[in-house]
Amino acid sequence: MFAEWLFTGFSILSVLGAIGLVVFRHPMNGAMSLVVTLISLAGLYALLSAKLIFAIQLIVYAGAIMSLMVFIIMFLNVQTEDLPEEKSRFLYVIGGVVVLAPVFFFLKKVVQSLPGSEATIVGNGFGGVKEVGLVLFKDWLLPFEIVSILLLVALIGAVLLAGKRRMSK
Amino acid sequence: MSLLDILLVAIRVAFAAFVPLCFIAVCVWMERRGAGFFQDRAGPNRANIFGFRAAGLVQNLADGAKLFFKEDVISDHIQHKFYFVIAPLIVFFTAVVSFAVVPFADTLVLNGKSYIMQGIPIDIGILWFLALAGFGVYGIILAGWSSTNKYGLLGSLRSTAQVISYEIPMGLAIVSLLVVYGTVNLNGMAQFQGQLLFGFIPMWGIILQPVGFLIFVIAAFAETNRTPFDLAEGESEIVAGFHVEYSAMKFAIFFMGEYIAMFASSAIIVTLYFGGYQIPFLSTDTLITYAKPVAFLLMLGLPAGMYFFAGWIRKNNVSHYPRKNDPRVYEGNIYIKGFWGLVILLELILFAILLCKSGGAAAHIFVVLLQICTFLMKVTMMIFVYIWVRWTLPRFRYDQLQKIGWQVLLPAALLNIFITSAFVVALS
Repeated sequence: MFAEWLFTGFSILSVLGAIGLVVFRHPMNGAMSLVVTLISLAGLYALLSAKLIFAIQLIVYAGAIMSLMVFIIMFLNVQTEDLPEEKSRFLYVIGGVVVLAPVFFFLKKVVQSLPGSEATIVGNGFGGVKEVGLVLFKDWLLPFEIVSILLLVALIGAVLLAGKRRMSK
Repeated sequence: MSLLDILLVAIRVAFAAFVPLCFIAVCVWMERRGAGFFQDRAGPNRANIFGFRAAGLVQNLADGAKLFFKEDVISDHIQHKFYFVIAPLIVFFTAVVSFAVVPFADTLVLNGKSYIMQGIPIDIGILWFLALAGFGVYGIILAGWSSTNKYGLLGSLRSTAQVISYEIPMGLAIVSLLVVYGTVNLNGMAQFQGQLLFGFIPMWGIILQPVGFLIFVIAAFAETNRTPFDLAEGESEIVAGFHVEYSAMKFAIFFMGEYIAMFASSAIIVTLYFGGYQIPFLSTDTLITYAKPVAFLLMLGLPAGMYFFAGWIRKNNVSHYPRKNDPRVYEGNIYIKGFWGLVILLELILFAILLCKSGGAAAHIFVVLLQICTFLMKVTMMIFVYIWVRWTLPRFRYDQLQKIGWQVLLPAALLNIFITSAFVVALS
Protein backbone atom coordinates (compact mmCIF):
# COMPACT_ATOMS: atom_id res chain seq x y z
CA MET A 1 0.00 0.00 0.00
CA PHE A 2 2.75 2.38 1.07
CA ALA A 3 4.83 1.32 -1.93
CA GLU A 4 1.90 2.17 -4.22
CA TRP A 5 1.67 5.66 -2.77
CA LEU A 6 5.40 6.08 -3.27
CA PHE A 7 5.07 4.83 -6.84
CA THR A 8 2.30 7.35 -7.55
CA GLY A 9 4.32 10.15 -6.01
CA PHE A 10 7.51 9.36 -7.88
CA SER A 11 5.67 8.93 -11.19
CA ILE A 12 3.88 12.25 -10.86
CA LEU A 13 7.14 13.98 -9.90
CA SER A 14 9.04 12.49 -12.82
CA VAL A 15 6.35 13.50 -15.32
CA LEU A 16 6.16 16.99 -13.82
CA GLY A 17 9.93 17.32 -14.04
CA ALA A 18 9.90 16.26 -17.67
CA ILE A 19 7.14 18.76 -18.48
CA GLY A 20 9.12 21.44 -16.65
CA LEU A 21 12.23 20.64 -18.71
CA VAL A 22 10.29 21.31 -21.91
CA VAL A 23 8.18 24.25 -20.75
CA PHE A 24 10.59 26.38 -18.69
CA ARG A 25 12.41 29.01 -20.70
CA HIS A 26 15.33 29.63 -18.38
CA PRO A 27 18.00 26.90 -18.82
CA MET A 28 18.65 26.63 -15.05
CA ASN A 29 14.96 25.92 -14.41
CA GLY A 30 15.03 23.29 -17.14
CA ALA A 31 18.13 21.64 -15.70
CA MET A 32 16.72 21.56 -12.18
CA SER A 33 13.46 20.01 -13.48
CA LEU A 34 15.54 17.31 -15.15
CA VAL A 35 17.27 16.68 -11.82
CA VAL A 36 13.84 16.18 -10.23
CA THR A 37 12.94 13.69 -12.97
CA LEU A 38 16.18 11.76 -12.56
CA ILE A 39 15.85 11.56 -8.78
CA SER A 40 12.26 10.33 -9.00
CA LEU A 41 13.33 7.75 -11.58
CA ALA A 42 15.92 6.57 -9.04
CA GLY A 43 13.06 6.21 -6.57
CA LEU A 44 11.15 4.09 -9.09
CA TYR A 45 14.20 1.86 -9.55
CA ALA A 46 14.45 1.44 -5.79
CA LEU A 47 10.78 0.39 -5.70
CA LEU A 48 11.63 -2.28 -8.29
CA SER A 49 14.30 -3.50 -5.80
CA ALA A 50 17.08 -2.60 -8.25
CA LYS A 51 19.36 -1.23 -5.55
CA LEU A 52 22.51 -0.95 -7.63
CA ILE A 53 20.76 0.88 -10.46
CA PHE A 54 19.17 3.17 -7.86
CA ALA A 55 22.61 4.08 -6.54
CA ILE A 56 24.13 4.45 -10.01
CA GLN A 57 21.23 6.62 -11.16
CA LEU A 58 21.82 8.91 -8.19
CA ILE A 59 25.62 9.01 -8.47
CA VAL A 60 26.08 9.17 -12.23
CA TYR A 61 22.98 10.83 -13.68
CA ALA A 62 21.49 12.94 -10.92
CA GLY A 63 24.87 13.62 -9.32
CA ALA A 64 27.73 13.82 -11.78
CA ILE A 65 26.21 14.46 -15.21
CA MET A 66 23.59 16.94 -14.11
CA SER A 67 26.00 18.86 -11.90
CA LEU A 68 28.28 19.20 -14.95
CA MET A 69 25.32 20.52 -16.98
CA VAL A 70 24.40 23.00 -14.25
CA PHE A 71 28.07 23.92 -13.97
CA ILE A 72 28.18 24.76 -17.67
CA ILE A 73 24.97 26.79 -17.50
CA MET A 74 26.56 28.72 -14.66
CA PHE A 75 29.96 28.98 -16.35
CA LEU A 76 28.63 30.35 -19.63
CA ASN A 77 26.01 32.38 -17.78
CA VAL A 78 23.24 31.42 -20.20
CA GLN A 79 20.29 33.78 -19.73
CA THR A 80 16.84 33.75 -21.28
CA GLU A 81 17.83 36.62 -23.60
CA ASP A 82 20.64 34.53 -25.12
CA LEU A 83 18.25 31.90 -26.40
CA PRO A 84 16.74 32.17 -29.88
CA GLU A 85 13.14 33.35 -30.15
CA GLU A 86 10.73 30.51 -30.67
CA LYS A 87 7.70 32.19 -32.17
CA SER A 88 6.08 29.10 -33.59
CA ARG A 89 6.62 26.88 -30.56
CA PHE A 90 2.89 26.39 -29.95
CA LEU A 91 2.50 25.15 -33.50
CA TYR A 92 5.24 22.62 -32.84
CA VAL A 93 3.55 21.53 -29.61
CA ILE A 94 0.23 20.98 -31.41
CA GLY A 95 2.01 19.10 -34.19
CA GLY A 96 3.78 16.93 -31.64
CA VAL A 97 0.52 16.12 -29.85
CA VAL A 98 -1.14 15.15 -33.16
CA VAL A 99 1.78 12.87 -34.08
CA LEU A 100 2.05 11.27 -30.64
CA ALA A 101 -1.69 10.80 -30.02
CA PRO A 102 -1.91 7.40 -31.79
CA VAL A 103 1.12 6.15 -29.85
CA PHE A 104 -0.53 7.26 -26.63
CA PHE A 105 -3.78 5.44 -27.43
CA PHE A 106 -1.84 2.34 -28.45
CA LEU A 107 0.08 2.35 -25.16
CA LYS A 108 -3.14 2.89 -23.21
CA LYS A 109 -4.67 -0.12 -24.92
CA VAL A 110 -1.58 -2.24 -24.21
CA VAL A 111 -1.56 -1.28 -20.53
CA GLN A 112 -5.28 -1.99 -20.17
CA SER A 113 -4.97 -5.39 -21.80
CA LEU A 114 -2.24 -6.50 -19.36
CA PRO A 115 -3.41 -9.42 -17.25
CA GLY A 116 -3.84 -8.35 -13.62
CA SER A 117 -1.50 -10.37 -11.43
CA GLU A 118 -0.19 -9.96 -7.91
CA ALA A 119 3.25 -8.38 -7.85
CA THR A 120 5.66 -9.97 -5.40
CA ILE A 121 9.11 -8.90 -4.31
CA VAL A 122 11.82 -10.92 -6.02
CA GLY A 123 13.98 -12.71 -3.49
CA ASN A 124 17.60 -13.85 -3.41
CA GLY A 125 18.97 -10.33 -3.26
CA PHE A 126 17.77 -9.52 -6.76
CA GLY A 127 19.25 -6.28 -8.02
CA GLY A 128 21.84 -6.07 -5.26
CA VAL A 129 25.44 -5.10 -5.94
CA LYS A 130 26.79 -8.64 -5.65
CA GLU A 131 24.12 -10.28 -7.83
CA VAL A 132 24.39 -7.73 -10.63
CA GLY A 133 28.19 -7.99 -10.50
CA LEU A 134 28.11 -11.77 -10.77
CA VAL A 135 25.74 -11.70 -13.75
CA LEU A 136 27.73 -8.95 -15.41
CA PHE A 137 31.10 -10.65 -15.08
CA LYS A 138 29.91 -14.23 -15.72
CA ASP A 139 27.29 -14.07 -18.45
CA TRP A 140 27.95 -10.67 -20.01
CA LEU A 141 31.70 -10.31 -19.69
CA LEU A 142 32.45 -9.71 -23.39
CA PRO A 143 29.75 -7.06 -23.98
CA PHE A 144 30.80 -5.39 -20.74
CA GLU A 145 34.44 -5.22 -21.82
CA ILE A 146 33.50 -3.98 -25.29
CA VAL A 147 31.39 -1.21 -23.79
CA SER A 148 34.23 -0.19 -21.49
CA ILE A 149 36.65 -0.06 -24.44
CA LEU A 150 34.12 2.09 -26.29
CA LEU A 151 33.95 4.48 -23.34
CA LEU A 152 37.76 4.57 -23.15
CA VAL A 153 37.97 5.41 -26.86
CA ALA A 154 35.45 8.21 -26.39
CA LEU A 155 37.42 9.54 -23.42
CA ILE A 156 40.74 9.53 -25.27
CA GLY A 157 39.06 11.12 -28.27
CA ALA A 158 37.66 13.92 -26.11
CA VAL A 159 41.08 14.60 -24.57
CA LEU A 160 42.73 14.57 -28.00
CA LEU A 161 40.19 16.94 -29.56
CA ALA A 162 40.41 19.35 -26.62
CA GLY A 163 44.23 19.35 -26.86
CA LYS A 164 44.26 19.81 -30.65
CA ARG A 165 42.26 23.03 -30.63
CA ARG A 166 44.57 24.62 -28.13
CA MET A 167 47.65 23.69 -30.18
CA SER A 168 46.29 25.20 -33.38
CA LYS A 169 45.85 28.53 -31.62
CA MET B 1 5.69 -4.79 14.56
CA SER B 2 5.99 -5.09 18.27
CA LEU B 3 6.57 -2.15 20.59
CA LEU B 4 10.27 -3.02 20.79
CA ASP B 5 10.64 -2.89 17.00
CA ILE B 6 9.06 0.56 16.84
CA LEU B 7 11.17 1.78 19.75
CA LEU B 8 14.40 0.62 18.14
CA VAL B 9 13.48 2.16 14.79
CA ALA B 10 12.74 5.43 16.58
CA ILE B 11 16.05 5.24 18.43
CA ARG B 12 18.15 4.59 15.35
CA VAL B 13 16.46 7.29 13.27
CA ALA B 14 16.72 9.77 16.15
CA PHE B 15 20.40 8.93 16.56
CA ALA B 16 21.12 9.42 12.86
CA ALA B 17 19.26 12.74 12.82
CA PHE B 18 20.17 14.35 16.13
CA VAL B 19 23.75 13.28 16.75
CA PRO B 20 25.03 15.22 13.69
CA LEU B 21 23.05 18.24 14.87
CA CYS B 22 24.53 17.98 18.38
CA PHE B 23 27.98 17.60 16.89
CA ILE B 24 27.64 21.02 15.22
CA ALA B 25 28.05 22.56 18.66
CA VAL B 26 30.95 20.23 19.49
CA CYS B 27 32.66 20.90 16.15
CA VAL B 28 32.33 24.69 16.37
CA TRP B 29 33.61 24.61 19.93
CA MET B 30 36.51 22.33 19.00
CA GLU B 31 37.31 24.52 16.01
CA ARG B 32 37.55 27.67 18.09
CA ARG B 33 39.31 26.23 21.06
CA GLY B 34 41.55 24.26 18.69
CA ALA B 35 42.39 27.41 16.76
CA GLY B 36 43.25 29.06 20.06
CA PHE B 37 45.40 26.10 21.06
CA PHE B 38 47.35 26.03 17.79
CA GLN B 39 47.87 29.78 17.80
CA ASP B 40 48.87 29.81 21.46
CA ARG B 41 45.96 31.83 22.76
CA ALA B 42 42.93 31.05 24.90
CA GLY B 43 40.09 31.00 22.40
CA PRO B 44 36.54 32.02 23.36
CA ASN B 45 36.14 31.72 27.12
CA ARG B 46 34.23 34.78 28.28
CA ALA B 47 30.60 34.23 27.26
CA ASN B 48 28.76 32.87 30.29
CA ILE B 49 25.41 32.19 31.89
CA PHE B 50 25.48 33.14 35.59
CA GLY B 51 29.26 32.73 35.52
CA PHE B 52 29.16 29.28 33.89
CA ARG B 53 31.20 29.26 30.73
CA ALA B 54 31.30 25.51 30.07
CA ALA B 55 34.85 25.88 28.67
CA GLY B 56 33.57 28.16 25.90
CA LEU B 57 30.53 26.18 24.81
CA VAL B 58 28.27 29.06 25.85
CA GLN B 59 29.84 31.10 23.04
CA ASN B 60 27.90 28.89 20.61
CA LEU B 61 24.62 29.91 22.24
CA ALA B 62 25.58 33.57 21.92
CA ASP B 63 26.43 33.03 18.25
CA GLY B 64 23.19 31.20 17.62
CA ALA B 65 21.15 33.94 19.27
CA LYS B 66 22.96 36.58 17.21
CA LEU B 67 22.39 34.79 13.91
CA PHE B 68 18.79 34.05 14.80
CA PHE B 69 17.84 37.65 15.50
CA LYS B 70 19.84 39.21 12.69
CA GLU B 71 17.95 40.73 9.80
CA ASP B 72 17.55 38.26 6.97
CA VAL B 73 18.46 40.21 3.83
CA ILE B 74 17.63 39.14 0.29
CA SER B 75 19.02 41.83 -2.00
CA ASP B 76 16.84 43.23 -4.77
CA HIS B 77 19.26 42.24 -7.51
CA ILE B 78 18.68 38.54 -6.81
CA GLN B 79 16.35 37.32 -9.52
CA HIS B 80 15.96 33.65 -8.66
CA LYS B 81 14.85 33.92 -5.05
CA PHE B 82 13.65 30.32 -4.92
CA TYR B 83 17.10 28.93 -5.70
CA PHE B 84 18.68 31.48 -3.42
CA VAL B 85 16.58 30.26 -0.48
CA ILE B 86 16.75 26.56 -1.26
CA ALA B 87 20.55 26.41 -1.76
CA PRO B 88 21.57 26.40 1.93
CA LEU B 89 18.84 23.86 2.66
CA ILE B 90 20.28 21.50 0.02
CA VAL B 91 23.75 21.72 1.55
CA PHE B 92 22.38 21.13 5.05
CA PHE B 93 19.98 18.34 4.15
CA THR B 94 22.40 16.30 2.03
CA ALA B 95 24.99 16.50 4.79
CA VAL B 96 22.56 15.20 7.42
CA VAL B 97 21.20 12.42 5.23
CA SER B 98 24.64 11.23 4.13
CA PHE B 99 25.30 10.17 7.74
CA ALA B 100 22.19 7.96 7.73
CA VAL B 101 23.95 4.86 6.34
CA VAL B 102 26.84 4.86 8.81
CA PRO B 103 26.48 2.08 11.39
CA PHE B 104 27.17 3.35 14.90
CA ALA B 105 27.06 -0.09 16.56
CA ASP B 106 27.01 -3.71 15.54
CA THR B 107 23.66 -5.35 14.80
CA LEU B 108 21.76 -5.65 18.07
CA VAL B 109 20.27 -9.10 18.75
CA LEU B 110 17.32 -9.08 21.15
CA ASN B 111 15.05 -12.11 21.68
CA GLY B 112 16.50 -13.76 18.58
CA LYS B 113 15.65 -10.79 16.36
CA SER B 114 18.38 -8.60 14.93
CA TYR B 115 18.11 -4.82 14.74
CA ILE B 116 20.40 -2.92 12.44
CA MET B 117 22.05 0.14 13.98
CA GLN B 118 22.08 2.77 11.24
CA GLY B 119 19.61 5.47 10.24
CA ILE B 120 18.34 3.93 6.99
CA PRO B 121 18.30 0.12 6.69
CA ILE B 122 19.84 0.12 3.22
CA ASP B 123 22.79 -2.07 2.31
CA ILE B 124 24.35 -0.03 -0.51
CA GLY B 125 26.27 1.86 2.18
CA ILE B 126 29.16 3.71 0.63
CA LEU B 127 27.36 4.23 -2.69
CA TRP B 128 24.70 6.22 -0.84
CA PHE B 129 27.41 8.42 0.67
CA LEU B 130 28.95 9.04 -2.77
CA ALA B 131 25.54 9.95 -4.21
CA LEU B 132 24.76 12.40 -1.42
CA ALA B 133 28.24 13.93 -1.59
CA GLY B 134 27.52 14.63 -5.27
CA PHE B 135 24.19 16.28 -4.44
CA GLY B 136 25.79 18.69 -2.01
CA VAL B 137 27.37 20.44 -5.01
CA TYR B 138 23.96 21.64 -6.21
CA GLY B 139 23.59 23.73 -3.08
CA ILE B 140 26.93 25.44 -3.69
CA ILE B 141 26.30 25.95 -7.42
CA LEU B 142 22.82 27.37 -6.88
CA ALA B 143 24.02 29.62 -4.06
CA GLY B 144 26.83 31.13 -6.10
CA TRP B 145 24.82 31.40 -9.28
CA SER B 146 21.65 32.88 -7.80
CA SER B 147 23.64 35.44 -5.80
CA THR B 148 24.31 37.27 -9.11
CA ASN B 149 27.59 38.38 -7.63
CA LYS B 150 31.05 38.02 -9.12
CA TYR B 151 32.62 36.75 -5.93
CA GLY B 152 29.79 34.31 -5.40
CA LEU B 153 30.02 33.00 -8.93
CA LEU B 154 33.81 32.62 -8.73
CA GLY B 155 33.50 30.80 -5.42
CA SER B 156 30.94 28.36 -6.68
CA LEU B 157 32.86 27.78 -9.95
CA ARG B 158 35.95 26.88 -7.97
CA SER B 159 34.07 24.74 -5.53
CA THR B 160 32.20 22.77 -8.18
CA ALA B 161 35.29 22.10 -10.27
CA GLN B 162 37.08 21.00 -7.12
CA VAL B 163 34.35 18.70 -5.85
CA ILE B 164 33.81 17.10 -9.27
CA SER B 165 37.54 16.48 -9.76
CA TYR B 166 38.10 15.07 -6.29
CA GLU B 167 35.15 12.72 -6.50
CA ILE B 168 37.20 10.64 -8.97
CA PRO B 169 40.20 9.82 -6.72
CA MET B 170 37.76 9.37 -3.84
CA GLY B 171 35.72 6.83 -5.82
CA LEU B 172 38.87 5.01 -6.93
CA ALA B 173 40.20 4.84 -3.37
CA ILE B 174 36.87 3.30 -2.39
CA VAL B 175 37.15 0.79 -5.27
CA SER B 176 40.45 -0.56 -3.93
CA LEU B 177 38.86 -0.74 -0.50
CA LEU B 178 35.92 -2.71 -1.90
CA VAL B 179 38.39 -5.18 -3.39
CA VAL B 180 39.77 -5.78 0.10
CA TYR B 181 36.47 -5.91 2.00
CA GLY B 182 34.37 -7.57 -0.68
CA THR B 183 31.25 -5.62 0.29
CA VAL B 184 29.70 -2.17 -0.15
CA ASN B 185 27.77 -2.47 3.07
CA LEU B 186 29.33 -0.27 5.75
CA ASN B 187 28.27 -2.61 8.54
CA GLY B 188 29.92 -5.50 6.69
CA MET B 189 33.09 -3.42 6.38
CA ALA B 190 33.09 -2.64 10.09
CA GLN B 191 32.59 -6.33 10.91
CA PHE B 192 35.48 -7.22 8.59
CA GLN B 193 37.70 -4.81 10.49
CA GLY B 194 36.93 -6.60 13.76
CA GLN B 195 39.21 -9.46 12.66
CA LEU B 196 42.88 -9.68 13.56
CA LEU B 197 45.76 -9.71 11.09
CA PHE B 198 48.41 -12.36 11.95
CA GLY B 199 46.47 -12.82 15.16
CA PHE B 200 47.55 -9.59 16.85
CA ILE B 201 47.05 -6.52 14.59
CA PRO B 202 43.50 -5.19 14.19
CA MET B 203 42.54 -5.53 10.51
CA TRP B 204 41.73 -1.87 10.12
CA GLY B 205 41.50 -0.28 6.69
CA ILE B 206 44.40 2.04 7.41
CA ILE B 207 46.70 -0.97 7.88
CA LEU B 208 45.46 -2.83 4.80
CA GLN B 209 45.17 0.27 2.59
CA PRO B 210 47.56 3.01 3.72
CA VAL B 211 47.81 4.63 0.27
CA GLY B 212 44.07 4.44 -0.24
CA PHE B 213 43.61 6.04 3.17
CA LEU B 214 45.79 9.02 2.27
CA ILE B 215 44.00 9.50 -1.04
CA PHE B 216 40.58 9.20 0.56
CA VAL B 217 41.37 11.63 3.36
CA ILE B 218 42.77 14.24 0.97
CA ALA B 219 39.72 13.86 -1.26
CA ALA B 220 37.39 14.04 1.75
CA PHE B 221 39.03 17.29 2.86
CA ALA B 222 38.47 18.68 -0.63
CA GLU B 223 34.87 17.46 -0.71
CA THR B 224 34.01 19.19 2.54
CA ASN B 225 35.68 22.44 1.36
CA ARG B 226 37.98 22.57 4.35
CA THR B 227 41.40 24.22 4.44
CA PRO B 228 43.82 23.58 2.66
CA PHE B 229 41.15 23.20 -0.02
CA ASP B 230 38.76 25.99 0.97
CA LEU B 231 39.29 28.00 -2.20
CA ALA B 232 35.53 28.33 -2.50
CA GLU B 233 35.61 30.73 0.41
CA GLY B 234 39.10 32.19 0.03
CA GLU B 235 38.46 35.27 2.19
CA SER B 236 41.56 37.08 0.98
CA GLU B 237 40.66 36.78 -2.74
CA ILE B 238 36.92 36.39 -3.13
CA VAL B 239 35.61 37.64 0.23
CA ALA B 240 33.50 34.63 1.19
CA GLY B 241 32.84 32.93 -2.10
CA PHE B 242 29.49 31.33 -2.67
CA HIS B 243 27.85 32.57 0.54
CA VAL B 244 28.88 36.21 0.24
CA GLU B 245 25.26 37.38 -0.24
CA TYR B 246 23.84 35.34 2.61
CA SER B 247 23.07 36.69 6.04
CA ALA B 248 21.47 35.62 9.32
CA MET B 249 19.92 32.15 9.46
CA LYS B 250 20.59 31.36 5.78
CA PHE B 251 24.28 31.85 6.40
CA ALA B 252 23.95 29.88 9.63
CA ILE B 253 22.46 26.95 7.74
CA PHE B 254 25.43 26.96 5.34
CA PHE B 255 27.75 27.11 8.31
CA MET B 256 26.00 24.25 10.11
CA GLY B 257 25.81 22.21 6.90
CA GLU B 258 29.57 22.52 6.54
CA TYR B 259 30.16 21.20 10.04
CA ILE B 260 27.67 18.37 9.57
CA ALA B 261 29.46 17.46 6.33
CA MET B 262 32.69 17.39 8.31
CA PHE B 263 31.10 15.15 10.93
CA ALA B 264 29.62 12.83 8.30
CA SER B 265 32.86 12.49 6.39
CA SER B 266 34.76 11.86 9.63
CA ALA B 267 32.24 9.14 10.40
CA ILE B 268 32.79 7.63 6.94
CA ILE B 269 36.58 7.79 7.31
CA VAL B 270 36.34 6.12 10.71
CA THR B 271 34.03 3.41 9.34
CA LEU B 272 36.16 2.74 6.27
CA TYR B 273 39.65 2.95 7.73
CA PHE B 274 39.53 2.93 11.53
CA GLY B 275 37.30 -0.02 12.25
CA GLY B 276 34.07 1.94 12.72
CA TYR B 277 32.51 1.05 16.05
CA GLN B 278 34.97 -1.82 16.68
CA ILE B 279 37.03 -1.69 19.86
CA PRO B 280 40.52 -2.98 18.95
CA PHE B 281 41.11 -6.64 19.93
CA LEU B 282 37.54 -6.92 21.28
CA SER B 283 35.13 -8.08 18.61
CA THR B 284 31.39 -7.99 19.27
CA ASP B 285 31.19 -11.68 20.21
CA THR B 286 34.12 -11.42 22.62
CA LEU B 287 32.54 -8.36 24.21
CA ILE B 288 29.20 -10.10 24.69
CA THR B 289 30.90 -13.11 26.27
CA TYR B 290 33.08 -11.01 28.55
CA ALA B 291 30.52 -8.25 29.23
CA LYS B 292 30.88 -8.60 32.99
CA PRO B 293 34.69 -8.36 33.24
CA VAL B 294 34.62 -5.37 30.87
CA ALA B 295 31.92 -3.69 32.98
CA PHE B 296 33.95 -4.39 36.12
CA LEU B 297 37.13 -2.89 34.60
CA LEU B 298 35.15 0.15 33.52
CA MET B 299 33.78 0.48 37.07
CA LEU B 300 37.37 0.62 38.31
CA GLY B 301 38.65 2.84 35.53
CA LEU B 302 35.95 5.52 35.56
CA PRO B 303 36.59 6.94 39.04
CA ALA B 304 40.36 6.85 38.47
CA GLY B 305 39.96 8.78 35.20
CA MET B 306 37.54 11.19 36.86
CA TYR B 307 40.01 11.82 39.70
CA PHE B 308 42.65 13.05 37.24
CA PHE B 309 40.04 14.98 35.23
CA ALA B 310 38.92 16.75 38.41
CA GLY B 311 42.53 17.62 39.16
CA TRP B 312 42.92 18.99 35.64
CA ILE B 313 39.81 21.16 35.99
CA ARG B 314 40.98 22.43 39.37
CA LYS B 315 44.39 23.34 37.94
CA ASN B 316 43.13 25.07 34.79
CA ASN B 317 39.83 26.67 35.73
CA VAL B 318 41.30 29.55 37.77
CA SER B 319 41.74 33.25 37.14
CA HIS B 320 45.17 34.22 35.92
CA TYR B 321 45.53 36.98 38.48
CA PRO B 322 44.82 36.95 42.21
CA ARG B 323 41.14 37.52 43.00
CA LYS B 324 39.19 37.38 46.20
CA ASN B 325 36.71 34.45 46.24
CA ASP B 326 37.75 33.48 42.71
CA PRO B 327 34.46 32.85 40.82
CA ARG B 328 36.27 30.46 38.48
CA VAL B 329 37.27 28.20 41.35
CA TYR B 330 33.62 28.15 42.44
CA GLU B 331 32.58 27.37 38.84
CA GLY B 332 35.17 24.60 38.58
CA ASN B 333 34.00 23.01 41.83
CA ILE B 334 30.45 22.83 40.51
CA TYR B 335 31.66 21.19 37.29
CA ILE B 336 33.62 18.65 39.31
CA LYS B 337 30.54 17.84 41.41
CA GLY B 338 28.44 17.47 38.27
CA PHE B 339 30.94 15.12 36.66
CA TRP B 340 31.21 13.04 39.84
CA GLY B 341 27.41 12.75 39.83
CA LEU B 342 27.60 11.50 36.23
CA VAL B 343 30.30 8.99 37.16
CA ILE B 344 28.17 7.68 40.06
CA LEU B 345 25.21 7.27 37.68
CA LEU B 346 27.39 5.33 35.22
CA GLU B 347 28.73 3.19 38.06
CA LEU B 348 25.17 2.29 39.05
CA ILE B 349 24.35 1.31 35.47
CA LEU B 350 27.50 -0.81 35.23
CA PHE B 351 26.67 -2.41 38.58
CA ALA B 352 23.21 -3.30 37.25
CA ILE B 353 24.91 -5.00 34.30
CA LEU B 354 27.11 -6.97 36.72
CA LEU B 355 23.97 -8.23 38.43
CA CYS B 356 22.23 -9.25 35.18
CA LYS B 357 22.45 -12.65 33.55
CA SER B 358 25.60 -12.96 31.43
CA GLY B 359 25.06 -13.22 27.66
CA GLY B 360 21.48 -11.90 28.06
CA ALA B 361 19.75 -8.85 26.65
CA ALA B 362 21.51 -6.55 29.12
CA ALA B 363 24.91 -7.69 27.86
CA HIS B 364 23.86 -7.05 24.26
CA ILE B 365 22.60 -3.55 25.04
CA PHE B 366 25.73 -2.83 27.08
CA VAL B 367 27.91 -3.82 24.11
CA VAL B 368 25.90 -1.59 21.78
CA LEU B 369 26.32 1.35 24.16
CA LEU B 370 30.06 0.68 24.42
CA GLN B 371 30.36 0.58 20.64
CA ILE B 372 28.39 3.81 20.24
CA CYS B 373 30.78 5.50 22.69
CA THR B 374 33.79 4.09 20.82
CA PHE B 375 32.40 5.25 17.50
CA LEU B 376 31.70 8.78 18.74
CA MET B 377 35.15 8.96 20.32
CA LYS B 378 36.85 7.92 17.09
CA VAL B 379 34.76 10.42 15.12
CA THR B 380 35.67 13.19 17.55
CA MET B 381 39.36 12.38 17.08
CA MET B 382 38.95 12.49 13.31
CA ILE B 383 37.21 15.86 13.59
CA PHE B 384 40.20 17.00 15.61
CA VAL B 385 42.43 15.94 12.71
CA TYR B 386 40.33 18.13 10.41
CA ILE B 387 40.80 21.07 12.75
CA TRP B 388 44.48 20.30 13.20
CA VAL B 389 45.04 20.39 9.43
CA ARG B 390 42.99 23.54 9.02
CA TRP B 391 45.01 25.56 11.50
CA THR B 392 48.37 24.15 10.39
CA LEU B 393 48.38 24.25 6.59
CA PRO B 394 47.89 27.33 4.41
CA ARG B 395 45.49 27.33 1.46
CA PHE B 396 46.59 25.86 -1.88
CA ARG B 397 46.66 27.87 -5.06
CA TYR B 398 43.94 26.84 -7.48
CA ASP B 399 46.23 25.33 -10.13
CA GLN B 400 48.12 23.42 -7.43
CA LEU B 401 44.84 22.02 -6.21
CA GLN B 402 43.84 20.72 -9.63
CA LYS B 403 47.37 19.39 -10.24
CA ILE B 404 47.32 17.37 -7.03
CA GLY B 405 43.92 15.98 -7.89
CA TRP B 406 44.58 14.94 -11.46
CA GLN B 407 48.32 14.32 -11.63
CA VAL B 408 49.07 12.82 -8.24
CA LEU B 409 45.95 11.38 -6.63
CA LEU B 410 44.37 9.90 -9.76
CA PRO B 411 47.42 7.87 -10.94
CA ALA B 412 48.19 6.86 -7.35
CA ALA B 413 44.63 5.64 -6.85
CA LEU B 414 44.70 3.67 -10.12
CA LEU B 415 48.03 2.08 -9.24
CA ASN B 416 46.69 1.27 -5.80
CA ILE B 417 43.74 -0.58 -7.34
CA PHE B 418 46.05 -2.71 -9.50
CA ILE B 419 48.41 -3.57 -6.64
CA THR B 420 45.56 -4.31 -4.24
CA SER B 421 43.77 -6.52 -6.76
CA ALA B 422 46.99 -8.41 -7.49
CA PHE B 423 47.50 -9.03 -3.77
CA VAL B 424 43.92 -10.12 -3.19
CA VAL B 425 43.99 -12.49 -6.18
CA ALA B 426 47.37 -13.93 -5.15
CA LEU B 427 46.32 -14.50 -1.54
CA SER B 428 42.90 -16.02 -2.18
